[in-house]
Formats: sequence, C-alpha cells, structure tokens
Amino acid sequence: MASTVIDKPSAKDPESVRGDRHDRSSMKMVSCIIRPESLDAVKNAVGQLELVGGMTVSDVRGFGRQKGQVEHYRGGEYLIRFLSKLKIDMAVREEDVDRVMGAISKAAHTGKVGDGKVFVVDLHNVVRIRTGERGAIAL
Amino acid sequence: MKLVTCIIRPDKLEAVADALDKQHIVGMTVTDVRGFGRQKGQVEHYRGGEYTIRFIPKVKIDLVVQDQDVETALTTIGKVARTGNIGDGKIFVLDVGNAMRIRTGEKGTSAL
Repeated sequence: MASTVIDKPSAKDPESVRGDRHDRSSMKMVSCIIRPESLDAVKNAVGQLELVGGMTVSDVRGFGRQKGQVEHYRGGEYLIRFLSKLKIDMAVREEDVDRVMGAISKAAHTGKVGDGKVFVVDLHNVVRIRTGERGAIAL
Repeated sequence: MKLVTCIIRPDKLEAVADALDKQHIVGMTVTDVRGFGRQKGQVEHYRGGEYTIRFIPKVKIDLVVQDQDVETALTTIGKVARTGNIGDGKIFVLDVGNAMRIRTGEKGTSAL
C-alpha cells in the first residue's frame, strides 16, 4: 500500500532540513544466505526484475538444521560445523519484496539441504550519501 | 520472528554455538567483523611506542528465532560470551517480517 510521494522540503521536518528529497514509501531489507556458486544466478535473476538498485555481498559461514556436514578424510570422520555461504543484502520497496524473493528462490534452488534462507527485515530509512536523498528514492 | 544479532569475541564462537544448540536453537550465520565500542578500541604498547588499535576483530552471529525464543537466546549468549572485561560485545534484536527456506519454499516461522 506504499504510495510514492516525494515530500517537498519543509522546515518543520527535521529529516529534510537540508532540503533533500525524501520518498516515504515502505521499504524492506531482503537478506539471503545462499550457496556461493549460486551468486551469479541470483544476481542475474534479481537484475532482470529491474527492481533492485544494488546488492551487498558478504562472505559468511554458518549452519542450519543439519548442523553442518560430516566429511570423511583418510578414514577419519570430521564434522564441519560452519559451512561457507554468501549473504546478499538488498534494500527494496515493500511492494517488490515478493517478486524479489521469488527470483532468489528460483535461482538459488537446488533442492538439496543447504540451499539457504531468505529473511525480510523492516528498513526504516535509507540515505544516499552522495546526494542526501532519503527514503525509497535513495534505493 | 526476530533477528538476534550479536557481536562477540571470536574465541567465544564455539562456546556460544554449543550453548545455543543445547537450548535447541539451531542455525546461525557468522561474519568476521571489526569494530569498537565505548572504549574506542584499545591501546597497545610496542617497542616503546603507543598504538591505538581502533577496530578490534570480532565475530557477528545472526540468528532468526521465534518471538518466544528471544529471551532464551539473549540469556544463553549473554551468559556464555561474558568474561566481565571490556569488549564482551553486544546483542541487538530486530523485527523480521518474513522468512523463506529456499529448498522447499516454506515461508514464515516454519522456514526457521
């Protein structure tokens, strides 16, 4: 239900004291943990939607319900608790969240344990540092 | 659902993971980070010189848990990660609107 209204700068609004544009559409941070080899597929799938301005990728390690995996090496059994994964963070407009989640899940899906998860977290504000723009216009 | 993000000493990671496991809180994402808090890093002495190490290596753990498990997660992490010395870290709790398991497409709390 987010409406895209660009507020006029107002002296009463402390957030636009610099007269910067502020778009108050609701936004969400979509964070996904994926297999490292799925990065290109996810990047392309999300890019094709043309709904996401950018993404931040971090090398992370972690485990889920299976608590890592057992590896066999020279007759010994080793538990690798923390597996290497990638985390991608994308800030999107609320109305685009479902389509972005759909694209991620299609691109990152192998059907095997360890495909990862997608989390959606409230995003209260965004500032583009270069211009001072705030809100969804800064995405 | 809540996102519990904690910044802890790197050497506490295994102990925190074990303790959460005992409480049946499974799954976490770990990131190597660096940062400082109120003390603004620490002063190291080396060959007569004084150096401030501003950004100290830490480990960030992200867990997404159901609302009723937040308190257990906070107390467990707090107990295990505490040494009593400066630099034990912090825990933050954020709202999570939705979650999805990529393998199955399950959404909401059943994806946790």
